[in-house]
Amino acid sequence: MVLAYKLIPLLVAWAGIMLVLARGVSGRRFVAAVAGSGGFACGVAGASALLHFFQGDAPFAFVKMLLGVIFLLLWTVSVAVAYCRPDHDAVAALRERWSNSKLFAAVTASLAGVTAGVVCACCFAGCQKPWLVFPCLAAGAAVIAVAVLVLERFLPDAVVVSPAGMAAVVSALLFFCSSSSPRLDLFAPLTMKMMKFAHDFVHQFFESMLIPDHMFFTSTTWDIIGLLFGNGVGFWAALFIWFTPIILVIIAVTLEPLPLVGTLRQGAQRRTRLAAALRMRRLRLATPVIALVISGSAVYESRFPKVEYWDPKPLVVSATPSGEIIIADKGEIELNDGKLHKYLFKQGGNEARFFIIATLAGKLTAVLDACSICKPDGYGQTEGVVICYYCKTLIPLETVGKPGGCNPVPLPFSVKSDGVHIDSITLVNLWNDTVQSTTRVKKGAR
Amino acid sequence: MNKSLFRPVWRILASRALPPVVISMFLLLYIGIAFDNEDALMALIDIVGSNVMLVSLFALIPLNRVVRLLEEFRDLLTRRQLLRGKKEAVLESLFDETVKIDGAGSRFSGIERRLANSGYRTVAGEDSLVAWRGISTFPARALFLVASAFLFCGVLISLNGRVTYRGTVIEGEKLPTSTGEGGIVERIVLAKSTGRFMAKTLTMAVASPEHGGADRIFGLYPPARDNGAFVYPRYLGVGLFFRFSAPDMPGGYETHAILSIYPPGKEASEEIPGSPYRIIFSLVPPDDGSDPYMTGRMSFLFKLLKGKDVVLTGKAPAGGEFSQEGYSLSFPDARRLVITDFIRDPGVYLIWSSMMLFIVAGCIWAPVKIFSPRREMLFQKGLDGCRAWSRAEGRRRAHAGVFHEALDALEPVRHL
Repeated sequence: MVLAYKLIPLLVAWAGIMLVLARGVSGRRFVAAVAGSGGFACGVAGASALLHFFQGDAPFAFVKMLLGVIFLLLWTVSVAVAYCRPDHDAVAALRERWSNSKLFAAVTASLAGVTAGVVCACCFAGCQKPWLVFPCLAAGAAVIAVAVLVLERFLPDAVVVSPAGMAAVVSALLFFCSSSSPRLDLFAPLTMKMMKFAHDFVHQFFESMLIPDHMFFTSTTWDIIGLLFGNGVGFWAALFIWFTPIILVIIAVTLEPLPLVGTLRQGAQRRTRLAAALRMRRLRLATPVIALVISGSAVYESRFPKVEYWDPKPLVVSATPSGEIIIADKGEIELNDGKLHKYLFKQGGNEARFFIIATLAGKLTAVLDACSICKPDGYGQTEGVVICYYCKTLIPLETVGKPGGCNPVPLPFSVKSDGVHIDSITLVNLWNDTVQSTTRVKKGAR
Repeated sequence: MNKSLFRPVWRILASRALPPVVISMFLLLYIGIAFDNEDALMALIDIVGSNVMLVSLFALIPLNRVVRLLEEFRDLLTRRQLLRGKKEAVLESLFDETVKIDGAGSRFSGIERRLANSGYRTVAGEDSLVAWRGISTFPARALFLVASAFLFCGVLISLNGRVTYRGTVIEGEKLPTSTGEGGIVERIVLAKSTGRFMAKTLTMAVASPEHGGADRIFGLYPPARDNGAFVYPRYLGVGLFFRFSAPDMPGGYETHAILSIYPPGKEASEEIPGSPYRIIFSLVPPDDGSDPYMTGRMSFLFKLLKGKDVVLTGKAPAGGEFSQEGYSLSFPDARRLVITDFIRDPGVYLIWSSMMLFIVAGCIWAPVKIFSPRREMLFQKGLDGCRAWSRAEGRRRAHAGVFHEALDALEPVRHL
């Protein structure tokens, strides 16, 4: 049941990809269907090999890189269509010939197929019977491709798909598929990167323009400038980057020059010709607009994932008279069970939150329930990663315990026969230094 | 350079696609760096500043802006000459639409009236008719191109030519310029401001014998200049002269310490050389809520550490002394100081100018484009008929309708 729940949206997205490809390369439907299905099967096989031979986050990082390349390709296509107007007949003819060629159909469909296959297979990483699920996935994709090939003929001729519109919809559907798995999601890391970029850019701009330090500003001015350092700016900047290529395609279609009708000497003829051109233009707008909606759904999936995070209520712990916090590694709680275990230490007016988790290698690690960048909303755990609730960045389990970025801040600890030992003064100082300085500490976890 | 090579190079330099392509390349580079560097922007700035290829690539953007300005100005002049009848050969690329009508009638007077009724100004020649209305956005476009050229030139110069020297400006001491020729700093004043953006103002008054004894004033923004370098105040602090003695250090120790301890509560540490002692200083926030840096009434909180152990804590005002258990700490003198960057960067002027030009360009462009965009038509009679050209900077559809109806009126009599 869970499998079907995960599978249906992916296969529907694949059907959408095949439908758009079949209509986009209408003269080469068969080539597109064969290349697409073959690519999908290759993608599934490649992903299963990656998951088999590489442990941890490496296969997912590779797939995310592939998706990143597709995103850059979409940007390239959109900038090209926005800037390169078909003024020259030779260029327009070349473009027309290329987009109607077998090679174009084969390359586009196989690239889309491989990526969709890899993404779908990665969404099923860790399933019970991969030897059954993966071949079924590839076979299902082939059946869908054939079915779409048949059904596409019944679509009205008025439904037209330009190459740029096709690129937009196919990419949007691939991103929609990937956003269903937090480990493949592109939007959340994009948000994080944009937040960092905005922060660095504002800082650099102030330095370059010799603008005085914040202590000289009124609180209102600084509050406004402070908006540029918040999570919101990362989100909005990421939205801008995310939607701009599709919006560029829409703008390019909207600004397509109308046919020159100056040689027609009947006003009615001119109006008819222009109306027909405008109608065609509106129809060509349909695919990028659909792509915009699908991209929006991918963002929604990324912001509100259907994934359940393991996020236990922090257990309150205290220190021994010598100032040591001792967490027993066996007994009621097994620290080595692969789950994240949260604790809250209180002493006087101070408190600090931390968690202990076993890495994929089986070694225990202790970290603060906060990073040095974000508001300390804490972390949750899922599918071999922990997630920073504030900025939605996924941290692979194998990097938990290492400093930097949005990783939880590592905590000095030692493992002895009776469990994990942590110095309470070090814990409180570390918490105060890295987190409380932001003066936005919340009590308890999320 | 021979012509066959010059033309394609010029076309590339003048291409509208060049800036987005170059910016995309830098974006790709940034993405590449961001994969394994937390400070990708700083790393990118460092790389661009030290790589001739990347500097050359970046320089293509301002160059493109200049070339585009020349191209568009040339087009404007050519179009003007055409419309004034001073040029015969018409370049089709200067117009949106070109129409040739064979054997058309010669009733320019009819369409002249029609165009005048549509709000166009017309000038009829013997074999030609020119009609136009509205104002060209070229001035705004030219300002925009100049502004973007200034901006990218400024960034380029800043990346490669900025020289920064950090010094500490202390009351009663010489201004620490890189040449060492600054006058004496008479006073540093931090005051409350009622401005909309700034809550405080900072002024550093420096005696200047060469200016007739009048003080030179260095403020916050825009930063004043000293010998061509911007004086950019960064952080406030206190120059504290302190004497320290301990039971195991009867000889004592005294020094002028530069402490970055503003605002009150901020700590700075000072090592006592050749001893296990370290003193952590901070400014005591006054009970009346005043700012000690503004009032000059400073009191210092200190923690004396021997190794990792805190052996003494206390506070004493400037000019005061604290003694306990054989330890003694006195503060004979405390002065305001400002840690200041002296920056030589001609790029800043260009960037500031570009900001102004962008604003002016926007203020011209928006109303012209909305209320009175330029629209032009040119009709020329030849032996075999008539040719007509049309162009619009806005409201293209409405203009095209008027143009086409004017063409209808040029039809041979048999069509009417």
